[in-house]
Amino acid sequence: MLGTFSRFRPLTLLVGVVLAQVLLLAVQIKRGREVRLIRYWAVELMTPAQRAGTWTFSKLGGVWTGYIALHNARTENEQLRSELDRLQLRNRELESEAAEGQRLGLLLNFRQGHPEASMLAAQVIGASADSSSHTLFINRGDRDQVRRNLGVITPEGVVGKIVEVFPSTAQVQLINDKDSGVGALLADTRTHGVVRGTGDPEPRMDYVVNDEKVHPGELILTSGEDRIFPKGLLIGSAGGASPASPFQLIHVHPAARLDRLEDVLVLLSQQELTPKGSGESSSVVPASPPPAATVDARAADTSKASASAPGRPPQPNLGKPSANPTRRVNRTQAPAVKPAAPRP
Amino acid sequence: MDYILNRGARTSGNIEVHRYHGGTVIVAAFLALILQAFLHKYGRWAELLDLPLLVTIYFGVSQRNPVSGLFLGAAIGILQDALSHDNPIGLYGIAKTWIGYLASSVGARIDTEHPASRFGLVFVLFHFHQVVLAFTQRVLLNRSAPYFTPRLLLDSVVSAAFAVVLFALLDRLRRPS
Repeated sequence: MLGTFSRFRPLTLLVGVVLAQVLLLAVQIKRGREVRLIRYWAVELMTPAQRAGTWTFSKLGGVWTGYIALHNARTENEQLRSELDRLQLRNRELESEAAEGQRLGLLLNFRQGHPEASMLAAQVIGASADSSSHTLFINRGDRDQVRRNLGVITPEGVVGKIVEVFPSTAQVQLINDKDSGVGALLADTRTHGVVRGTGDPEPRMDYVVNDEKVHPGELILTSGEDRIFPKGLLIGSAGGASPASPFQLIHVHPAARLDRLEDVLVLLSQQELTPKGSGESSSVVPASPPPAATVDARAADTSKASASAPGRPPQPNLGKPSANPTRRVNRTQAPAVKPAAPRP
Repeated sequence: MDYILNRGARTSGNIEVHRYHGGTVIVAAFLALILQAFLHKYGRWAELLDLPLLVTIYFGVSQRNPVSGLFLGAAIGILQDALSHDNPIGLYGIAKTWIGYLASSVGARIDTEHPASRFGLVFVLFHFHQVVLAFTQRVLLNRSAPYFTPRLLLDSVVSAAFAVVLFALLDRLRRPS
């Protein structure tokens, strides 16, 4: 090496001196946007090396992370799957709880909006095994002061009535059951009739003469004549009406979703419900002013609620059996239930 | 340094290596640079001559040592750049480094004592100097510099003719062998 250098020393020195001066020039010269030529060259010289280095390291990193470091990926994957399953289950639970909370919130709002009526919240726990009958079971029974022929409603509308009472459960006959009958009236014409179940999902309204004009969509309310439901509760709306002998055949679209019931309210009295302000989801349709008895009952209920929780609104017992039945509101106002067949 | 500036290189063969009194090369180079700057004050005719180039060629040929020749050319060129207004340091340095190297290399191989050979040598090296200068300007400085023009031809002829006279004067500064 040294021998080669000595042999070509003048030429080597020439190249060295010229290169040194080229670098000297590059330090002074600026190109383009005030970038010195020496920096320009340095960047141009280093960029391929940096690019190659980056490429090499990325490939090495890919090999490492993609192959070598995956020795415990299987275990981690299983753990993550397990965690995912657990979280999905928890998510479904939370969604279910949220939906339940929403339903219970509606019931609570409805219950608080009508303190004049004594109600008991209940959960649907089962349905009839007989496909021809439309009945269901709720988690309230004799221990909760539930009696036969008490009305069952939801904030949307009338559901049915209690037909059998057991110690801790009760059977509810829906309004579309073939043996069901509810005293009803057309909201516009105030024409009375009976909403009877047919065994089909939709009941029909009977005892309306053919001369009565029934408009599709016309609301159908309880008339109170059956002594089960207070007057003015929403049953549903009129579907198609066709003349028949001797009365019209009116199909009824139930307001309550009878096929998706989960939480209901049991009316412990036939106290007429007072219509509330707009925007509230309620089965109560504005009708005649409440009688004096309604006002008295409301006052009694309010005083009892105030006595149980001073300074706080009465908290209804929603969905769960009460450990102390005496705390239930309006227990003393439970009506003397009389089985009553619907009357046209 | 003394070896480079005063004694020159020892070459093989029958080519004579000339020696000069101490400081002769340095003084001559400085004088050439000063005169070049001084003469520019008196008109563009002074651009016909490149005295530093002629001094580089002369001492390169006389000393006949490529190493000393390229260093002498580099030093003179860098000083010429330093005295110029807008030239970056190294522009003339690169060109005159090549000139010093080539002049020394040529001087070590052929006889450069004859006026005709001196004329031809200066003529050729003048254009080579211009080529290197233009190439450097084009590549590094991004300037448009010509490799050859009729004016450059005139300059080279004038410089070569002037070099014949100047070299004869500089020969008087040699130390007697």
